[in-house]
Amino acid sequence: MNAPFFKYGMFGDEMSLVVAFAIGIGFGFFLERAGFGKARLLAAQFYFRDLRVLKVMFTAIITAMVGSFLLARFGLLDLSLVYLTPTFLVPQIVGGLILGFGFIIGGYCPGTSCVSAATGRVDGMVYLAGMIGGLVGFAEFYPRIAHLVKLTPLGQVTLAEQFNIPYGLLVFAVVLMALGAFVAAEWAEGRFGGKTPDADSLLAPARRFTPVRKFAAVLAVLGLVAAFAGSPYRTALARVDTRQLALDAGTKADHVMPAELADWLVEGRNDFLVVDVREPAEFAAYHIPGALNVPLAALTPDFARRNERIIFYSDGGIHAAQAWFLIRALGFPSVYMLFGGLEEWKDTVLFPAAPLADASAKDRIDFARRSAVAKYFGGTPRTGTDATPVAPAATLPKLALPPPTAAPAGPNSVPAPKKKKKEGC
Amino acid sequence: MNPYWAGFGLGLVLLASFVIMGRGLGASGAFTTAVATTVHAVAPGHAEGNAFYAEYLGDGTTNPLKDWLVFEVLGVFVGGFLSGALANRLQITIEKGPRISNPRRLLFAAFGGALMGIGAKLALGCTSGQALTGGALLNVGSWAFMLCVFGGAYGLAWFLRRAWL
Amino acid sequence: MTEFTLFRHTPGIDPTLHIWGWEIPVYLFLGGLVAGLMILAGARLLIMRPHERQAMVCCTIGPLAGLALLSLGMLALFLDLSHKLYVWRLYLIFEPTSPMSWGSWILLLVYPALLANALTHLPETIPALAKRAPMLVTISDYILARPRLVVAIGLANITLGIALGIYTGILLGTLGARPLWSSAVLGPLFLFSGLSTAAALLHGILVFTTPDAERPEFADFLLSLLARWSQARPLDTRIAPTLAQADNSFLTIELALLGLLLIGHLSSTAVHQQAAWLLLTGPYAAVFWIGVIGLGILLPLFLQHLELQHRIRHTLAPSLLVLTGGLVLRFVLVNAGQASHWAAMLN
Repeated sequence: MNAPFFKYGMFGDEMSLVVAFAIGIGFGFFLERAGFGKARLLAAQFYFRDLRVLKVMFTAIITAMVGSFLLARFGLLDLSLVYLTPTFLVPQIVGGLILGFGFIIGGYCPGTSCVSAATGRVDGMVYLAGMIGGLVGFAEFYPRIAHLVKLTPLGQVTLAEQFNIPYGLLVFAVVLMALGAFVAAEWAEGRFGGKTPDADSLLAPARRFTPVRKFAAVLAVLGLVAAFAGSPYRTALARVDTRQLALDAGTKADHVMPAELADWLVEGRNDFLVVDVREPAEFAAYHIPGALNVPLAALTPDFARRNERIIFYSDGGIHAAQAWFLIRALGFPSVYMLFGGLEEWKDTVLFPAAPLADASAKDRIDFARRSAVAKYFGGTPRTGTDATPVAPAATLPKLALPPPTAAPAGPNSVPAPKKKKKEGC
Repeated sequence: MNPYWAGFGLGLVLLASFVIMGRGLGASGAFTTAVATTVHAVAPGHAEGNAFYAEYLGDGTTNPLKDWLVFEVLGVFVGGFLSGALANRLQITIEKGPRISNPRRLLFAAFGGALMGIGAKLALGCTSGQALTGGALLNVGSWAFMLCVFGGAYGLAWFLRRAWL
Repeated sequence: MTEFTLFRHTPGIDPTLHIWGWEIPVYLFLGGLVAGLMILAGARLLIMRPHERQAMVCCTIGPLAGLALLSLGMLALFLDLSHKLYVWRLYLIFEPTSPMSWGSWILLLVYPALLANALTHLPETIPALAKRAPMLVTISDYILARPRLVVAIGLANITLGIALGIYTGILLGTLGARPLWSSAVLGPLFLFSGLSTAAALLHGILVFTTPDAERPEFADFLLSLLARWSQARPLDTRIAPTLAQADNSFLTIELALLGLLLIGHLSSTAVHQQAAWLLLTGPYAAVFWIGVIGLGILLPLFLQHLELQHRIRHTLAPSLLVLTGGLVLRFVLVNAGQASHWAAMLN
């Protein structure tokens, strides 16, 4: 199983919106069930009367944290592909304080105000209107404070990396801390809110093993497992599914034809990564436009993300095949190699041979088309009857040169990646 | 609903989002997209010239409203409505403490909302996108943010006790 | 250096035409809605016994709303025409094989039928109006005194309603160049979608005019103004469950017909399959699954089911959802239809 499903291309952007809607329904449902559609219940948190916010939020956090850790540890989820909002410490501290003020003044946070508006709360609707006003205000001031928003960047970093603590240990610590906070919260509710603990709570008077106590125990045990489970990230240790690899190799599902690749490059497609596994010197002499140089000797899985489509090539094909095997064994699902390597690339793309004199019209048109492609990549089509193989290297197009004719997208310039909308909140 | 079970349900939804989408939940981003789209419709030049709006408008090849968070928040409205309807909690009313008047409560709500909008953009997320999602992923910024949210709210709570108690 | 893409993709060879903007979907939606209102009004007129005074929302408010909505729809259609001055030419001939011709003639007959239905019970519904125009009472008495005329009006409304509803679908179906539309299911689909929106509209009007302690103040203010102006009595609320029930049946049938449409396409040629995938996973998938199926059919079905079981109160929500869903369905089908071509598979 390769999760996150979306990032492994199991469904497209359009279907992701349907998924978004379904997930949103679940989110809204449980927010409302938690009682978060009511401002007074939310505000009670800050007077120690009813610490629902803390209980719900931290139960959700530790559930998802333990769940994602274990799924990742057992190879079902690639945690490195789950989007992590980059950290900008100072703006986030200031923003957090402002948000906290807004929380106690307005009584909601954005998510809960949606739920409150949906259940007919006028204050929730007014809150949303106020938030939209705040957003417009922020946007209009943004050009003046843009530099402040990007202060103290730490990048996409987890607490485990920042403080160099094993991830699993941290998971266990957070679980224990949350469970402790729940007990303290229930105690505080009794002390300040005059509430007697619910029948199904951690501090319930009954000695029974109530469902909530069982749940807490399960979380604690799973947390303990996490503490000794090691890193959730996939390592450089390879595991080989020989049957699958053999199947892919045998059915040629791992091949990309040079003409195909050329077409993709001409179209400006950018949903794949071309990797040259030859030595840097060879790479400098000539490489397929837009390719990345990762010499086979220095091959580690760090050059690409797991969900990317990778196309390896070398001179002939042996080194590319070896790289293909190594990276596939590391669990990358879509890895390909250029059929015939650079040799084939030269023969069919850079210097395509003219068809014979008695060739059909279709072949002639095809050759015209391939000639255009060849010129695009700086090559020359071989014309005449004596289509002798060209001497390699000597006639290879110089990389530094601009394309022979000004093409809309120059061959040697990597097409700029499409500006994707941001993933965060 | 028992808060622990509501939290468990919420956690499973969040986990499902990680597994299916590789991202967490959010809320404020949807409204930013909606605001950016509206401004773009009214004053295209102004919106494109502003780096903040531009970030939410995408590359122009697709409708910016066809955005993950926009559809997720649409779902939040529907899910909240469904849950409220099933529990008979649908009611046109104003949630407030007994010692505050209706107009005052609404004024506070609008002001709080505005602060929330500013804070959420400064912090790159709100309680859903940062605290909940980032909290579960042990994100450094999210934990700092979460502590500050609680700190800010507790710090101001005493002064606002007339509004709630 | 673009010569190798000259096979297709150029606007001259392979136009991705979007000839129709918002006007046609809006017209189709309003046409279907009016068709539904006519059928419900006609059926109510036939079924109701004379002493029952429950006809007000179905038989008076419905047709009156229908007249207004149809005029709006005609305006949208008119805006879409390129030769606005030649509208009259449609009425010079009758072409039995052209749905356009059928449609223009049906539209001409719909007005008097709707008007007759509205006039039958108008004085009871809006007494203030009757007081100012005694003519209305005379007409109403004239019609009600002749049971066979009432039956004729009812039948005319049902017949014309069905014709109008099916015509809005057939109109697209005859444009054979668009594979998504080349299906006979489109007619019944639009008819039942029209019926569901009509029942939802009437249900919504009933819920909105029913005294309710939890309604926002501004709505009550509007209602009191309306009541003072028309001196209307509260509309009979006893048929609210009936309307919700009817709406649920229509929605279920609509869902089944949508399924049929898609299954039909999926089991047809590659072009049709491609047209269906436009909706199922293609660029219209999000709007189709969420706007049409989720919010437009399943959610109101569920809510109205709960209402009928007395688990929740009757609210405006399902009505608004069904109406929006119906409009979105027309937009999705019109736009996706225009994006589907016979040559698409060559790409």
